Amino acid sequence: MPGFRLFLVILISAALIAADARFDKLTPVRSTLETGLAPVYWLGNAPYRFSDWFAGLFVSRDDLQSENEELKARMLILERRALKYAALASENNELRRLLNSSEVLDDRVIVGQIVGVSPDPFSHEVIINKGQSDGVTTGQAVLDAEGLMGQIVQTSQFTSRVLLVSDSSHAVPVEVVRNGLRSVLLGNGEADELDLVHVPDTADIREGDTLVSSGLGGRFPRGYPVAEVSRITKEPGEPFVTIRAVPKARLNQSRMVLVVFQPEARDRLEDRSAVPMEEGTN
Amino acid sequence: MLSVISYPLFLVTVVLALVLSISLFPVGWFEFRPEWLGLVVFYWTFRAPAQFGILMAWCLGLLLDVLEATPLGTNALGMALIAFLVLTIHQRLRMHPLPQQCLMVFLLLGINQMLVHFIKQMLGADAAGFSYLWPALTSAIAWPFLCGLLDRLNRQLG
Repeated sequence: MPGFRLFLVILISAALIAADARFDKLTPVRSTLETGLAPVYWLGNAPYRFSDWFAGLFVSRDDLQSENEELKARMLILERRALKYAALASENNELRRLLNSSEVLDDRVIVGQIVGVSPDPFSHEVIINKGQSDGVTTGQAVLDAEGLMGQIVQTSQFTSRVLLVSDSSHAVPVEVVRNGLRSVLLGNGEADELDLVHVPDTADIREGDTLVSSGLGGRFPRGYPVAEVSRITKEPGEPFVTIRAVPKARLNQSRMVLVVFQPEARDRLEDRSAVPMEEGTN
Repeated sequence: MLSVISYPLFLVTVVLALVLSISLFPVGWFEFRPEWLGLVVFYWTFRAPAQFGILMAWCLGLLLDVLEATPLGTNALGMALIAFLVLTIHQRLRMHPLPQQCLMVFLLLGINQMLVHFIKQMLGADAAGFSYLWPALTSAIAWPFLCGLLDRLNRQLG
């Protein structure tokens, strides 16, 4: 009897695995189950919320006051920068309008919190507490305060799953801030190391260069810092150099993340692909 | 076989195992995390083979698949296999002294890990080496404590 049940279960599992991995038929089922498992995520995060709450009970007034002053000072500095930024952004948009290309709108973000990590040590994924009910969809970029963290790969009603840039199946199109050199940044399964691939031997790239997302591919918004080049190894005889970079985002320390809503990402992509044709006809 | 079992306790252990398998864990120790759900399946099919079996284990594995974002059915198959193997050996297993039980936990959970790893590799995951077997070892170490605790709770609540 157990043998027959095992046989049955093996058949069902094989069918499920094939349907899920090869044909992507089970996304709604998975999403429904994940919504049902929301309490599990909530419970998993409860100790942290409790310790935050507990720590909040025993903060002295002096500490709070000094922190408040610090934050006010910091806000002043950032506000000054934002003033300058507003002027620059409008000037930039003006210039872009003169060039007949579409305006760059500011990205809208929502703040989420990491409520779990994937139990599989070989995949770099985290779970955040924002889902379909907050308007999150698959493919959106996720940032922390320092840089790009990854992208949403799966959503349920109240949670979604973020694939981090360090996962071995993840790639980001990037460019070097200093000179606009384009390349692709791959994760390699290490939390503090990324690989920059297909950079020719003669390319102008140095250790310490900042890599920002280039926006090519239409998935990630343009201009967010992703990584910093840490090591360049030139092998004589090889056409490409081996380049290692350190991710800017604190991939395994951040608790708060930003989910980016891109305004009309598709329009911008079409706009960009239209540019070379215009140049050709003129 | 326990004379009394407590169904509320079963539910609590399942929820707890699911929570423990996603809750944040020290980064460097990540791959040593015990296979909590595997231990829970092992315990309940070992202690109450008449009530809990392959289908229950399969359903629990499906939930783990959702949490782990592995193709649906991968861990479900692994858990069902654990339940099946426990069902076939549970009568002998009860005669074994504790260290030998730990060895069986290691073997069965290791087989489960191997199967899951094999399916993932077949679908294109890329992870070399045998480090995926660490959870089986840590689970075997956790087994005597878990078994003792759950037995006591079962006797008090059941």
